[in-house]
Amino acid sequence: MPSIQTNGLTKQFGDDMVAVDDLNLSIEKGEIFGFLGPNGAGKSTTINMLLDFIRPTEGSAQVLGMDAQEETAAIRECIGVLPEGYEFDDHLTGREYIEWTIETKAADDDPDEILDTVGIRDDAARKASSYSTGMQQRLAFGMALINDPDLLILDEPSAGLDPNGIQRMRSLIRDRADNGTTVFFSSHLLSEVEAVCDRVGVMTEGQLVAMDTIKELRKKAGGRESIMLECATQPTRDAVDDLNAVSEVLIEGTTLTAYCADPAVKADIVRQVDDQADVVDISVDETSLEELFNQYTSGGRDGMAQEEANTEFEEVPV
Amino acid sequence: MSWLTVAKKDFKGARRSKSLWAAAVLLGLVAVVLAYGNQAFRQTEVEAVQGLFRTLTQILAVLLPIIALTATYMAIAGEREGGGIKFLLSLPNTRRDVFTGKLLSRLAIVASGVVFMYIAASSVSLTKHGVFPLGVIAGTLLLTILYGSVFVSIAVAVSAAAASRSRAIANALASYFVLVILYVFPDIQVKTVVQGIHTSLLGMESNPDLYNAVQYTSPFLAYQKAINLVVPNRLEQQLFRDSATNLDGDEPMWATDVDLNLPVYLTDEFSLVILAFWLVVPLLVGFWAFKRTDLE
Repeated sequence: MPSIQTNGLTKQFGDDMVAVDDLNLSIEKGEIFGFLGPNGAGKSTTINMLLDFIRPTEGSAQVLGMDAQEETAAIRECIGVLPEGYEFDDHLTGREYIEWTIETKAADDDPDEILDTVGIRDDAARKASSYSTGMQQRLAFGMALINDPDLLILDEPSAGLDPNGIQRMRSLIRDRADNGTTVFFSSHLLSEVEAVCDRVGVMTEGQLVAMDTIKELRKKAGGRESIMLECATQPTRDAVDDLNAVSEVLIEGTTLTAYCADPAVKADIVRQVDDQADVVDISVDETSLEELFNQYTSGGRDGMAQEEANTEFEEVPV
Repeated sequence: MSWLTVAKKDFKGARRSKSLWAAAVLLGLVAVVLAYGNQAFRQTEVEAVQGLFRTLTQILAVLLPIIALTATYMAIAGEREGGGIKFLLSLPNTRRDVFTGKLLSRLAIVASGVVFMYIAASSVSLTKHGVFPLGVIAGTLLLTILYGSVFVSIAVAVSAAAASRSRAIANALASYFVLVILYVFPDIQVKTVVQGIHTSLLGMESNPDLYNAVQYTSPFLAYQKAINLVVPNRLEQQLFRDSATNLDGDEPMWATDVDLNLPVYLTDEFSLVILAFWLVVPLLVGFWAFKRTDLE
């Protein structure tokens, strides 16, 4: 039984805005699945349908084998959710939010343990509305972890977190997945997805344009690697001409750059060039995932997914 | 029972809201000032205190809807606008639990405010006049809580159906206007409008019973008529004196011992049916809207 399964899931807003278009997903138990796409690609809409916040116009979704629209309470017993675009606006402290979640889930977690896990125990007595974005994110993540859910749905979980927080969250996610929890992880940050996910689905304009492991995706996107060799004397083309996998060779002075589709050929390149003109330095450049991402999403909303990725790491007190 | 955890959390949050405490203190002060200023002039102490509580209901008839609406209109709309609804509905709560929990919490809050006011008024009266007319106090208290609950019900419904704060405010204001303001000022009466349409546009013969029946759909009037059920005759407020069966009568405004001979749907007792209608129907409509809407 897949943890999440969608069949032709479609959501249309108004007459012409199709937010999610005929989505077919199948996420297996224990998997960390990265749901990748630029802003407005339909990731949150999909998650909102899985959680029955909004209703599909066509198709259906099953969460842990239960119908997402019919068996909402039973589903919510078994999942943990870190939503996107929330606020802690009640007059409650961080600890009280944790306690409330424990009570609602009829769980027997220790509030202090959860607070420790996400690193906000020292601030637990303060009102959650006074927390910084990163601390609110930690609190929300802590709430999602309560009662050891079978499925964690995390919508843009690293938003507002500092690098330490991101690191902590990643290792928690991996721990949980190792214990059999399925993690459904949405992000517009490639680095995030690359760091933790087993498998990735790329969403753009409401459609799933790719779904595979990062490695396979890179292959499919026609990605190539380049290897740059700094030599003692000027090398010539002859050194690598006999290698089929090498698609292009550039020589500038004593530097030789070779592009290859098959990463395994790099060792041969080094060996052969070294025979001809002593190699003194080596650097390798993989097709960056950003490029790959842009390839799939045609540059996203404004063609600058990279820029967003960089500005996301806002400064947050720890 | 997860509506209970929704209600408990909501109530806990509200208890720490400064503006709610300010409203409660204000209500208490109004009660104290009224009770303190109340004189037993040419009447017994008991009569004076009974009169005080009737006066209190007349003030609350206008004031309580405002309090109930402002204390409640954001109950669900606020969670939707702020995204708190995402936490509520990610946990094992259904939309019904959220709706029920919010309703019960706000009912408790408004009822607490009314009880607070009653404690203030009755303790000052007890000290000053040495009497505690239990029948009138308990009767008006229960009806006042019922009246407040009607507006909590309306506000929860409005709040559940509204996607944003501004929408919820607009709807709450509109319901106050339509259900209260239109009946407060004698010059702009609903029944005058109905009469105009009925006789001029439709060319029908004048029928005061009909106009009064339309007028009587307001919880504002229903509350005042309901108060007649629990206060002594001399404090009763006679409405609908122009009704068909009494057209020839020239009743005094404050009839002391004569009950008007009214059709059943205009009697004081019928007010409970009207209040029950306003308590239940908005909830059904509001929940229906909330259940089927997309929450974003």
